[in-house]
Amino acid sequence: MSGDHHPSPWGPHDWRHGAPHNSWAPFILSLGVAIFLFTLAGAFKFGEFQGWGNVPLIFVGLGVIGFSLIVWWRQDMSFGVNGEVFEPKSAGTPFQNIDIRKVAMWMFLMSEMMVFTSLFSTYMRYRFGIPNCQTVFESGEWVEGTSVICFEPAGHLIASSWFHIAPGAINTFALIISSFTIVQALRYAKKKDIDEDVRRRKVTRYLGTTWFLAILFLTLKMIEWFLGFPLPEFLHEFNHGDSSIKSLYAEGYLINADSYQHHAYDTHYIEAHPNDYSIPEDSALYAMMEAGTHPGGHMMADIQVSATTFYVTTGTHGAHVLGGIVGLTYMTLKAAKGGYTPDNAVSIEYFGLYWHFVDLVWVLVFPFFYLY
Amino acid sequence: MAHYKIMGQDPYWMNFYGLMILTLIEVLAVGADLAPVADSLGTEEKVVTLWILTIIAIPKFIMIAAIFMHLYGDEDSGILTMTALFPAFFILIMVLFVGLTHPDAPSSLPDWCRPGNYGL
Repeated sequence: MSGDHHPSPWGPHDWRHGAPHNSWAPFILSLGVAIFLFTLAGAFKFGEFQGWGNVPLIFVGLGVIGFSLIVWWRQDMSFGVNGEVFEPKSAGTPFQNIDIRKVAMWMFLMSEMMVFTSLFSTYMRYRFGIPNCQTVFESGEWVEGTSVICFEPAGHLIASSWFHIAPGAINTFALIISSFTIVQALRYAKKKDIDEDVRRRKVTRYLGTTWFLAILFLTLKMIEWFLGFPLPEFLHEFNHGDSSIKSLYAEGYLINADSYQHHAYDTHYIEAHPNDYSIPEDSALYAMMEAGTHPGGHMMADIQVSATTFYVTTGTHGAHVLGGIVGLTYMTLKAAKGGYTPDNAVSIEYFGLYWHFVDLVWVLVFPFFYLY
Repeated sequence: MAHYKIMGQDPYWMNFYGLMILTLIEVLAVGADLAPVADSLGTEEKVVTLWILTIIAIPKFIMIAAIFMHLYGDEDSGILTMTALFPAFFILIMVLFVGLTHPDAPSSLPDWCRPGNYGL
């Protein structure tokens, strides 16, 4: 390192003098996040908006966050100054000679694992700790008109028919295919023995496909949560005679659902649809109704906890997909301009790590939140 | 990038095919009538489904991490695998002591793990 070099904590950094160790960006970012969260929390009280007083400060917080990211970007991402490409290596134990960005990405993914572990353990805790709605219904320990607290897994609605499961199942395949397409983009970006134009087209095509699949994922998520979808007439008979697949919102599966009612918990509906539903003959409810000690009816459930764990976990995952779309948009446009060469292809690899992680989380979310 | 083959074929394509097949089995397992299997095992259909889903999720998880995320076969795979496994302790603590606990745990725990059982 030359003696007259004075690295700036504001960037851009000259990588020929090694990695930067001084930056104001993390401090500014922390300050911005603190302003944003404090003022956002102050703007609401028990879900009620408290007026516009805090709103300007919320935007100030977001502005400070944005400013810190620009500083960080200028300082740490200036690998291509004057046309030169630098990929700084880590010097510390145990990551000597591994690209700094790769190590950083894995550190970030470690923290992400902890975030999702918190969400999963919360889900498990409530799933096992609160009696299942089906179990409560069959126990007969409910009275029509009085809400009972129970756990209604989203899978009860989603896995109830092939049509309901379709958006989640397609999304699973979409994420796996997108994991593959981004690896293919990396493969072609790294290839040295192909024409530049062929490389540009292949990388753009694979990154574009990944982008499209990510958009498809969120679109299907919206259909599943809010929109639902109509079915052609010849399929109605396979959907209990209904003309559409209802969204979770339309089914009343909401975080504030304290009086949720589903037809599977309605004895009159069950009696009218013997081919689709039945009350198990060995259940307490069946025995009570046979003995005339339970009048039957429509069980009403407080499912706020189950709906909240579902939406928070799948929503957090969806937010990660949204973040991926932002990155993929930039990368696809860059690839279209021929911005990726074997020298800088590792950027695709490092983004790919994030994207594969999003896929990994879905590998667990899909079976345990959608199917079970 | 991978410098090895799986059964003589490109590892990414093989991994892709494997993941697609496992996912298909996963979805079919949910649609299939597993009640006879559950009856023969003396358990509920949901439990059988959960076991199938868990058993399939493990290889899927490993296939993505090892092959797509290059935790197998690269020069730095070893140390990065250790890095990825570092939160495992935290995950274990969270799952065991938050996810699998119950408010009644202090009173319904088996004798061998209650205070006083060993005369302490």
